[in-house]
Amino acid sequence: MPAVRAEKLYKVFGRRADRAVELLADGRHRDEIADLNVTAAVIDVSFEVSPGEIFVVMGLSGSGKSTLIRMLNGLLEPTSGTVEVAGTDITRLSAAELRRVRSEKISMVFQHFALFPHRTVLDNAAYGLEVRGIAREERVRKARESLELVGLAGWEERLPTQLSGGMQQRVGLARALAADTDIILMDEAFSALDPLIRRDMQTQLLELQASLGKTIIFITHDLNEAMRLGDRICVLRDGRVAQIGTAQEILDSPNSDYVARFVEDVDRTRVLTAGSVMAPPTAVDSGQDPREALRAMREAGTDRAFVLDPQRRLLGVVNADALDRADDAEGLGSVLDTGVHRVGPATAVADLFHRAAGTPHPIAVVDGSDRLLGAVARDTLLAALAPPGHDAGEKDTATAVAAGVAVDGGEAR
Amino acid sequence: MSSTPLTIEVPRVPVGPWFDSAIDWLRDNLGPLFDVIGAVIGACVDWLAALLTVPTAAQLTLIAALVVAAGLLARRGNIRGGAIPTLAALAAWAVLSLVEALAGGVALVIGSLPAPLFLWAMNLFGASYVHPPLVLALLLLAALVVVSLTATRDRRQWLLAVGAAVATVALFVLHHIVGVPLDLLVLLLFVALAQVVSGWRLALFAFLGFLLIVSMDKWEAAMSSLALILVATAVAVAISVPIGVLAAYNDRVSRLIKPILDFMQTLPAFVYLIPAISFFSIGQVPGVIATVIFAMPPGVRLTELGIRQVDRELVEAGEAFGAPPLQILRRVQLPLALATIMAGVNQVIMLSLSMVVIAGMVGAGGLGNDVYSGIARSDVALGFEGGIAVVVLAIFLDRLTGAVTRFSPAARAQRASR
Repeated sequence: MPAVRAEKLYKVFGRRADRAVELLADGRHRDEIADLNVTAAVIDVSFEVSPGEIFVVMGLSGSGKSTLIRMLNGLLEPTSGTVEVAGTDITRLSAAELRRVRSEKISMVFQHFALFPHRTVLDNAAYGLEVRGIAREERVRKARESLELVGLAGWEERLPTQLSGGMQQRVGLARALAADTDIILMDEAFSALDPLIRRDMQTQLLELQASLGKTIIFITHDLNEAMRLGDRICVLRDGRVAQIGTAQEILDSPNSDYVARFVEDVDRTRVLTAGSVMAPPTAVDSGQDPREALRAMREAGTDRAFVLDPQRRLLGVVNADALDRADDAEGLGSVLDTGVHRVGPATAVADLFHRAAGTPHPIAVVDGSDRLLGAVARDTLLAALAPPGHDAGEKDTATAVAAGVAVDGGEAR
Repeated sequence: MSSTPLTIEVPRVPVGPWFDSAIDWLRDNLGPLFDVIGAVIGACVDWLAALLTVPTAAQLTLIAALVVAAGLLARRGNIRGGAIPTLAALAAWAVLSLVEALAGGVALVIGSLPAPLFLWAMNLFGASYVHPPLVLALLLLAALVVVSLTATRDRRQWLLAVGAAVATVALFVLHHIVGVPLDLLVLLLFVALAQVVSGWRLALFAFLGFLLIVSMDKWEAAMSSLALILVATAVAVAISVPIGVLAAYNDRVSRLIKPILDFMQTLPAFVYLIPAISFFSIGQVPGVIATVIFAMPPGVRLTELGIRQVDRELVEAGEAFGAPPLQILRRVQLPLALATIMAGVNQVIMLSLSMVVIAGMVGAGGLGNDVYSGIARSDVALGFEGGIAVVVLAIFLDRLTGAVTRFSPAARAQRASR
């Protein structure tokens, strides 16, 4: 069961909203129905969000994303269509039932923080539980925990106005976390923060999400932010869904000129990860003798190979010149160069450049226990920068040879 | 021959008679209601005026006890420790007072206790019997002091409790043993209030200003006027804040009441006195009613403004966490609008002051009476003395209510951000 499901959602402001919905359902653009004197904010939007997913709704101002998110927790009533939260159609609930859903299932983080200036940080964080009628000691305990999670321990008794913007939004996040709901709506939550703090907050959100596993619906107008945070991204245009997909799908195969123009400006190096661009590595087993290794490398058409131990853990790199001079009796160990850069598959491509510049070897992509997953050579890096359409197929220059090669092309995410 | 000039007859619209018959109808049909309102308001004004001019020992003790109780209930940290025993003590006092007032039960209990227990007190006050309300008030004060000292760890609360107890005893000693007149003691209370709420400047002003009133022999008149103003303000606020809240929530109500408020505020204030007299006859009550009507509009306007000014996103945050509308009003909108609402209350008080003199015309007494007599007899001395007393009251009340604003949650938040 999806955590949140939106089915043919429409929100039209104005008296003749119903007529407008009929016309819009026939596929007309919202500018064509200007004579009805209505504002169509959200048109025919359907999607499903799975539990534990970060679903980003991306659109420019006026694309209806704020209206959309407010329909998901019933702050706005849809003109047509349904919203299901954990299987319950919230458009049919009474006001009191809807309030219960909000306090128990969905919390929200706001663009301008919306902290209560007359309450302390602790009381702000405890607000959701207070509304739910939880006893003071219990809610104080939970609020302290969530403040600690966001790194604000020690600030409990301050007032929000005494905190910086980034800290205020962390209080906003702590308030949503303390409410202990499965779903968190984040409405342009980081847009009011300056760029450096925004990046920190994104990192912190991803870290928190890794341990908490909430369902997060995140609204943003910043495609880079969307690509960084989103497991899946829904691009809105003029109230309609332009495309829904993973960051990679939207980057590599935009389904319309609009989306394509959007992703043109995306910094691909921050979206793509080592895991998504890496090639299968040329690797040799540490037990092989130099001549065998050299032959394998010539077959693969490369002059460098990674050396793995029997558990497929990375030991280092050998190059062809050194192998030529090596004594067969001494094995690979004598010519092994251990100065290899190792990165995890989630590392952004942007962070690979300076590593690639500092060494003649390809960069090794390894998993948590140092097992080789793939390699990123300099030419692979350059090819990753090219937008789709310019064929980047030449990155497959290396091939796996020896036994014990780990080829894992899986997605980093 | 003279030509007949063209005459255009504008029909006479009987506006005045309409009002007249409407008021007659109201008086005939809702007479008992007005009687009740009049009786309640009259009693309140009389009680308050008596409290301000000749407070009894029981009343002074009670004030001290209420100050301590307010301290116990207001401080955030005390909620767990102090609130329940405080409320229990207050409730016990209320019940016992009721029993005393209805059946004299407490007097019976005291009468059955051994007399030597009270002899010293009776000697102190020069009384021939023990006054039950005073005993109750003293017990309440003692209970609250004990609660303050045991249930809380707040040093300022300890200071408040001990200070209030000491001040009460000091007032008794000053009045009953040293023989300081009561008006000077009440003056000291005003000075203390000014010191706590605003600061030493206003305290100094209050001391000198009220001393001037005492020396002009206008104390009783000033306190009578103050009582009238306070009751009128209380009634006006009790009516205007809910209306202001409604207007903030509903645009239609807002549009509807705007012209009514304009009408209420611009109709010459004297005019209200006429129906007020016809409903309540002469005296303080029509003065209060006319004052309420004249002074209410800014209370409504500023309440509406204050609530509408509260950031829309904050209200939305309340809704998003599932808070019901009344809770959002109480915990978010009213606290944040409080500074603006207090500015409205300040305006209400100022308008009430300006009505005092006019109310003097219908026999509301107080300073208005002095000023009105001064006009009638063209007695410059009498008129100016009354007028200056009004000025002293006005400045004191204005600065005092202005300073109260800084205790509002929004103002605290703003101070914290600096």
